[in-house]
Amino acid sequence: MKVVIASSFVPFVKGGSRFIVEWLEQKLVEYGHQVERFYLPFVDRPDDLFDQILAFRLIDLSSSCDRLIAIRPPAHVLPHPNKILWFIHHIRGLYDLWDSPHRLVPDSPSGRAVRRAMMELDTRTIREARQVFTNSQVVATRLEHFNGIVAKPLYPPILAPQRLRNDGYGDEIVVICRVELHKRQWLLVEAMRHVKTPVRLRLCGTGMNSAHLDAIRAAIMNQRLESKIIYEDRWISEEEKIERLAPALAVAYLPEDEDSYGYCSLEAAHARKPILTTEDSGGVLEFVKDRVNGLIVPPNPIALAEAMDRLFVDRANTARMGEANNRRLSELCINWDTVVESLTS
Amino acid sequence: MRVLVVNNAAPFIRGGAEELADQLVRRLNATRGVEAELLRIPFRWEPADCIVEQILLNRNLRLYQVDRVIGLKFPAYLIPHPCKTLWLLHQFRQAYDLFVSGMSHLCDHESGERIAQLVCNADAQCFGECRAIYTISPITQARLRKFNGFDATVLHQPLLDGERFIGGEYGNYFFAGGRVGPGKRQHLLVEAMRHVKSTAKLVVAGPLDDEDYGFRLQGLVAQHDLGDRVELRFGFHSRNEIAIMVNAALACVYLPIDEDSMGYVTMEAFSAGKSVITAYDSGGVLELVRHGETGLVTGADPRSLAEQLDRLAGDRTTAIEMGRAAKLLLDSKALSWEHTIARLLNV
Repeated sequence: MKVVIASSFVPFVKGGSRFIVEWLEQKLVEYGHQVERFYLPFVDRPDDLFDQILAFRLIDLSSSCDRLIAIRPPAHVLPHPNKILWFIHHIRGLYDLWDSPHRLVPDSPSGRAVRRAMMELDTRTIREARQVFTNSQVVATRLEHFNGIVAKPLYPPILAPQRLRNDGYGDEIVVICRVELHKRQWLLVEAMRHVKTPVRLRLCGTGMNSAHLDAIRAAIMNQRLESKIIYEDRWISEEEKIERLAPALAVAYLPEDEDSYGYCSLEAAHARKPILTTEDSGGVLEFVKDRVNGLIVPPNPIALAEAMDRLFVDRANTARMGEANNRRLSELCINWDTVVESLTS
Repeated sequence: MRVLVVNNAAPFIRGGAEELADQLVRRLNATRGVEAELLRIPFRWEPADCIVEQILLNRNLRLYQVDRVIGLKFPAYLIPHPCKTLWLLHQFRQAYDLFVSGMSHLCDHESGERIAQLVCNADAQCFGECRAIYTISPITQARLRKFNGFDATVLHQPLLDGERFIGGEYGNYFFAGGRVGPGKRQHLLVEAMRHVKSTAKLVVAGPLDDEDYGFRLQGLVAQHDLGDRVELRFGFHSRNEIAIMVNAALACVYLPIDEDSMGYVTMEAFSAGKSVITAYDSGGVLELVRHGETGLVTGADPRSLAEQLDRLAGDRTTAIEMGRAAKLLLDSKALSWEHTIARLLNV
């Protein structure tokens, strides 16, 4: 089958929203399909929101492929008689983040009109799709709530999970993801002041906000945590990732209200490590069950420190949760066979 | 510096323009202080009515956090950006020279004239906003002046993989690479080998334009009993295989009929320090091949060719010296990626 995968991107910004596209592309090719991938530029700035969406709408691939798989918004507005969505999020500043500092336009008559127009446009264009999948239950629930559309979660796997391994349970709790305010590495740094065991923290990754990166570095130094926290302030390679995860005690991932479980949760599961997360981490909670395959605690330094100590002290339980975390992958059917079958049938 | 290369794309089709775009991005990323990425925007030009939408859609896209844009093709280069440089492969010819010559799909369309005008207007506005306009050939440059009234600088496309063509020994054979077909006149070469007195051989290697021409060449070899003098290697060869054949040749031969450009075959030979034998009527090739300096230029007939082949085969010192001069000339044209990128980024 000739398949076009269309998604939006911000040039030069990498991350999960590209992995899902490029990994799918690779897998569809492996499964014998002809694949063409288009990334189209999009930034959710209120001034030219609809200009950009119009551009997307005018891109006509209807006669050039058997099937269109659209991923990041507003790729779902592309017309195609055989359109399938793997919808990964709304333009959230007009949806669930309306009553938050992330609201995209003012809560004025014109702002509310923009919001309404966006919702109507989304509802109409999403309905054109033959089938709608989401990357999480959180997003599916939002689609039902705001757009009245029933969608099915189709959990995105990682590309080459068999490479991840487990060399036992050491002293380090590892965090491998973008370093951003909402990913809350800073909260873990705070927590390290309160731990009572020799547990250590390793942060790997960097981010776009250099002031925030400086703040993290300063916090580690000012609180004399250098012996307890290792901060690798860069994108580590896949090989390094494997080596960091293999001897880790556990993986921590506590984003603020994330849409999906995040690839780092899957990496932890494949390496048989439990996940430390927080009650308000959104989609991560679809994956992590408290004291089954990880620990879920309130998002404060004391609670996190206690959980870290518990992981360190009770290794047998940590290992048991690590094994359970691996089983979670099959419970949720997180594999490429399922994804390719769903998106191409 | 973040540089976005912008090209149009016909889904599932790859050609020279796509190769060039990918190579440009790779070379930009290998440049100190530069981070580059490719943006491909699907382009549909049939039916003709949709061209208007294509212009509109490209103008409606937005780019943020991009320092430079290098546009290669219509209509993708219409995407707005304050610091845009064009390296035009060609314009949308259906609205220009092909429209005038009656070979455009716009000619039969009731609004064809207006659509062509719209393309021209969109181009004019875009060209006026660009920091610099380069074209890949003098022909595109001339069309741009004629139809749009804009001056552009020619910035030839460097070899995609010049580092493979590093030269080597000067063996006892002439190499004729490139596509094999009547337009490239390899039959003249085979016939010339009948008259060559030296022991030098001829190697012809490349994909066949048509099978009949292949049979014709094989027939000539058999007819004149040239089996041990002429080697015909029809079909696809990897870049590496081609480079090996060029790098060890005594000299290269290339006889296209009135070629638009200097030709990759010529550039590869020169890069490897091999002189080129060509014909008076080979067009753009003569931009590089100068008789007695960087190669030999001769009449397009077997006897004249044989004379020049013998001249080089009998005087290896001259072959080597001209090869060296050829390399110097190519270098002086600065057809290197370093130079190309410096020009494209120097605004």
